[in-house]
Amino acid sequence: MTDANESKLIERVARGDERAFLELYDRHASRVYGLTLRILGDPMLAEEVTQDTFLKLWSRARQYLAERGPFLPWLLTIARRVALDRLRLESRRPLLSDVNDPENVWHTVPDPGSTAEESRWRTLYFAVLSLHPDQRKVIELAYYQGMSQSEIAEVLNMPLGTVKTRLRAAMEKLREIWKEG
Amino acid sequence: MTRDEHAPFLENIPAYAIGALDADETAALASHLEGCASCRTELAEYRALGESLLTALPPRQPPAALRKRLQSRLLGAQKTKRLTFNWSFSQLATGIALVVLLAMSFYSITQMRSLQLEQARLNRQIRTGQTVMSMLSYPATERLAINSESVVGSLLLDRERNIVALIVWNMPQLDETKTYQIWLINPQDERVSAGIFRPEDDRVYTTYIVFPEQSVTDFVGVGVTIEPAGGSDQPTGERVFKVDF
Ligand SMILES: [Zn+2]
Repeated sequence: MTDANESKLIERVARGDERAFLELYDRHASRVYGLTLRILGDPMLAEEVTQDTFLKLWSRARQYLAERGPFLPWLLTIARRVALDRLRLESRRPLLSDVNDPENVWHTVPDPGSTAEESRWRTLYFAVLSLHPDQRKVIELAYYQGMSQSEIAEVLNMPLGTVKTRLRAAMEKLREIWKEG
Repeated sequence: MTRDEHAPFLENIPAYAIGALDADETAALASHLEGCASCRTELAEYRALGESLLTALPPRQPPAALRKRLQSRLLGAQKTKRLTFNWSFSQLATGIALVVLLAMSFYSITQMRSLQLEQARLNRQIRTGQTVMSMLSYPATERLAINSESVVGSLLLDRERNIVALIVWNMPQLDETKTYQIWLINPQDERVSAGIFRPEDDRVYTTYIVFPEQSVTDFVGVGVTIEPAGGSDQPTGERVFKVDF
């Protein structure tokens, strides 16, 4: 969640304060890098996209509105979009069976954290992990590869109806757990 | 509006919220949303869930060099207008990609597919080449010799960025039923698969980049074996070479 301290940092970044920028970087770079690495499956590309994301933060910090929601999801939304654009530009979409198996990332057990934010993301982490692998795969492709349902159906060689049902069931289940957490 | 009238739209909302709804269905839902407050509420919840999903991934520490580079980019941006140029360049690149995609949509699906695959293959080759180049120029990269009865080459090891690159000369082409498989070897002498590959037809050398899931420092070596197509859980076939870190 965006604490008061963080809101101040963002305001300072919007005014061009480099030190505040680096402090935000230190707080969130590992989240941005974790996400972009997940999407791109390539450390070099992920590093470039992480850089682009933070440069966007530098030039667009004033567009962030604290009352609209917490900062980290806002930043990660930018990171996801930049990464998916990059994915398309590299036309890496058909290469799903690349070195990084989507399944593997969910087997890294997260460190036990103390803050409320950390406990919340761990809830979701385990929620995703608790999905049936077939459902998780569909969510993975949609969310981390930016595919539409019919693209997923094609890649998994599966009827479109099945993909729709799985995606919907997975999202409903996630929402349930997320609301409880 | 009755519940039944919402139903076809309601069921598309989760997909729409994470951008997975196909274009034809998206238009219909978007126009329904304009006039339907209850569906908008539903969408808002799934959007929020989608945002939270972004934060659900395990964090990974980026290389320390990135922070330094960003710092110098900021300094550069303040002194010159280079940053603006870079932005417009990336926009231009996206624009060109869009034009290319539009042009390609006139091709038949089959032609498009083979073009995409070819493009992807070339991109992969270029990226692999760039990775190798950048590793070679990186001061912390270690270069180890690959020297077995059948092949020679180099193994590049970048412990900081967690990358291993193999460059092997005269790797024999395999028939369709077989593949080369790479294994990372841990101190307990156990093998963890790090991917499968086939030599490129048009080259005398083969490059393959491994981005290990675990830290490469957890391993003491790399081996390559010949396995049935699709790869094996554990090495079963002939060893091609092995390199100790
Ligand atoms: Zn409605």
